[in-house]
Amino acid sequence: MDAMLRALNRCGLGARIGERATVADARGWLEAQLEGGAPDMGAGLGVPSAAEVAEAFSGLRRAQGARDQAALEQARRRIREVAVAEARAALGQRLVTERPYVERLVGFWSNHLCISVAAKPILAPLAGSYEREAIRPHVLGRFEDMVLASARHPAMLLYLDNAQSVGPGSQAGRRTGPGGQRRGLNENYARELMELHTLGVAGGYTQQDVQELARILTGWSTGGIGPAARGARGDGDLGFVFRPLTHEPGSKTLLGVRYDESGAREGESAIRALCRHPSTARFVATKLVRHFVADDPPAEAIDQVARVFASTEGDLREVARTMVRVDAAWAPETRKFRTPQDWLVAVFRALRVREAQDGFAPLLMQLRQPLWGPAAPKGYADTTQEWADPDSLMNRAELARTIAARVARASVEPDQLLSVVDVGEADPLRTLLADGSIAAEERIALASGGPAFQWR
Amino acid sequence: MDRRDFLRCMCYGGVATFANPVVHFAQVPERGRFVFVLLRGGFDGLAAIVPFGDAGYQSIRGSMAFESSKLTALTDGFGLAPGLAPLRAFWDRDELVALHALAIPYRTRSHFDGQAVLETGLSGPDGSADGWLNRLLQVMEGQRSGIAVAAGMPRSMTGPHPVATWSPAQLGMVEDSYLDRLHLLYRSDPTLYNRFEAAVAQREITSDMGATGSAGAARARAGVEPILRAAARFLRQPDGPNIAAVEFSGWDTHANQGMEGGPLDRLLGQLAQGLTVFRDEMGDVWSQTTVVAMTEFGRTARPNGTRGTDHGTAGAGFILGPNVARSALVTDWPGLRDSQLFDNRDLRPTLDTRAVLKGVIAGTFDLTHAQAERVFPNSSDAPGRYDLMA
Repeated sequence: MDAMLRALNRCGLGARIGERATVADARGWLEAQLEGGAPDMGAGLGVPSAAEVAEAFSGLRRAQGARDQAALEQARRRIREVAVAEARAALGQRLVTERPYVERLVGFWSNHLCISVAAKPILAPLAGSYEREAIRPHVLGRFEDMVLASARHPAMLLYLDNAQSVGPGSQAGRRTGPGGQRRGLNENYARELMELHTLGVAGGYTQQDVQELARILTGWSTGGIGPAARGARGDGDLGFVFRPLTHEPGSKTLLGVRYDESGAREGESAIRALCRHPSTARFVATKLVRHFVADDPPAEAIDQVARVFASTEGDLREVARTMVRVDAAWAPETRKFRTPQDWLVAVFRALRVREAQDGFAPLLMQLRQPLWGPAAPKGYADTTQEWADPDSLMNRAELARTIAARVARASVEPDQLLSVVDVGEADPLRTLLADGSIAAEERIALASGGPAFQWR
Repeated sequence: MDRRDFLRCMCYGGVATFANPVVHFAQVPERGRFVFVLLRGGFDGLAAIVPFGDAGYQSIRGSMAFESSKLTALTDGFGLAPGLAPLRAFWDRDELVALHALAIPYRTRSHFDGQAVLETGLSGPDGSADGWLNRLLQVMEGQRSGIAVAAGMPRSMTGPHPVATWSPAQLGMVEDSYLDRLHLLYRSDPTLYNRFEAAVAQREITSDMGATGSAGAARARAGVEPILRAAARFLRQPDGPNIAAVEFSGWDTHANQGMEGGPLDRLLGQLAQGLTVFRDEMGDVWSQTTVVAMTEFGRTARPNGTRGTDHGTAGAGFILGPNVARSALVTDWPGLRDSQLFDNRDLRPTLDTRAVLKGVIAGTFDLTHAQAERVFPNSSDAPGRYDLMA
């Protein structure tokens, strides 16, 4: 096992040709990346502005309201443009970053608290801003601040339906609509907040707790994110609105703790308590160790990470530091299969491609892991079992060949790729890459489409 | 060795020389074809096979209750939702069993636990258990083969028995020499080697299926139909796979699920259309084929506050194929009055998914009851419904 390549590939986003020689101390290289604040998206990536995102989102609603076909098409085009720009920027960031460990953390937490454009197409213009605004600023900050930012973001409020949830005893809930209907509670977000974001499915909550948390969170909504909705009633988060008229009145009891009626503050207290719960430390640590160490995460490493998570009240910088200090992270026998996103980013980084072409995001769709599009709120798995199916290996082999033909020819000598994959002295890849009778672009594809490159 | 020789070697005799078994299809055609369609997300059984004759139906579903004139009646009191009307053609040919008040044996309203239980065929969630379709392949001792026609490997197919996968995407043209050299490289990776070999074999079998780079996008638009069409093209081959796992997502209708022509009804329409295409594509082989569609849980009996339904308990399912005993609605109907509900919110479960599946696989593959029990271990509390199949 080559420790430098382990750091570059496992904890980073994939070694560039020649980069291995610039890293002298694998762990030091990773820990240094944790200094300073969370990195902003690079200038020049073409990140849409908040106003552009808001306009794309509200433009569609306006056009739908007006029933104007031309305006509707224009609004849909704007949404596509924003979504494409967001994807290009997010993937471009992974290609250009010099702090790839932190970017891997952005991807990890974004997946942990995922939203899904595949499940709710209305989220298409919001997905990129969700990651930039709710996740990225907190990856070296506190877990509970990240979960709260996620809870208040319009993308999450819409994805898991909390924006529509109405307390049955609230003013809005007691009103009878046309046709005799009453609006009521939607427990979707409350359930996933405990099952997937904090405590874990075995974290010790009941159906009763799900309903109580849903009641606590009634009123947490989005007013649309146009300028009119911001300001007055929002509390500074983009588009977040607390609606007292839909908030269930009275005290609630969650996990045995009583929350007296206090409007939006109930939800904040409840989320902070969930984030500090011992089950959360354990659940999050297990997932981190599975991501960074092995599909079958070693108990000792989980204990170590969970302890730091608990003792620092979810300081994610300290958690990330601990993650690369656990012995298991450097054990030679462990390896992680690259997910499609990991693999494709690593191929482009290896070949020193620094810009995400518009075709990048659709390729991820074909590899079954579109950006911000998991099938379920659990997010994408990161295990061999999930991704190393025969069809996927063939997809990668084909795509490696296509990429080698299109981008690699001019700039890369095939045998330089030996500096990005960890292969033994006797590995046949060495012989093949040196074999001048094989076309250079095929040799490049053999490196990125072959087995060694599938692991990190 | 060129790729054709390599494949011949692999598929017809070369297998034994490898350290581990690779995926290969049975050399002697074996009877029986089976498709398991997993409706992921919790499919609202009460809005699919509609109990319009239940005394409590209109009041409990309120504005989301169908008028019986909109439905395709199956029996007194139960009718197919508008989108499912094409299934009446199966019914009329004695090829449809509609299942109701059906549920997995474990009470959960978690998608993940529910799917895990349904896909492992066990009585509770178990993080590491094999999928029940894989266990079925194991029980049939290598005489049948399986394929996942899905994005990734569904849990139901995971386990020690090798299984092929196929998805309609092709990402580039590659030379045989390139694949041969990759084969050489994969030989040194014991975890991936068999999977790569299976991929090469698969590629050969599907080379004339017109897969294109845009098929993925078409699939996203058209729902399950292209997937079921592809499944049929695999299964109908004389030496093709016998078992296919297919997934269809999008059933988690928490809000605005709609009525006739609405979002849920459109999904039901895609399902009915896909099943019809599947039957037509199967041709002669349809005569030995059975399809089951099931979901992880039903939804709440009452609509929620957002014109949708939340995670519930019992729901509906389907068995299709000419080898069902007769078209029938199979249910021990629990009723929809408040006092009859489970937890005062969900349709009460009275039919166990494992009981149904044991009956179906025994009938489709001529298994003994003991074999069927081995596919669903510790399921004696759910006696097999061996009466469902001819």
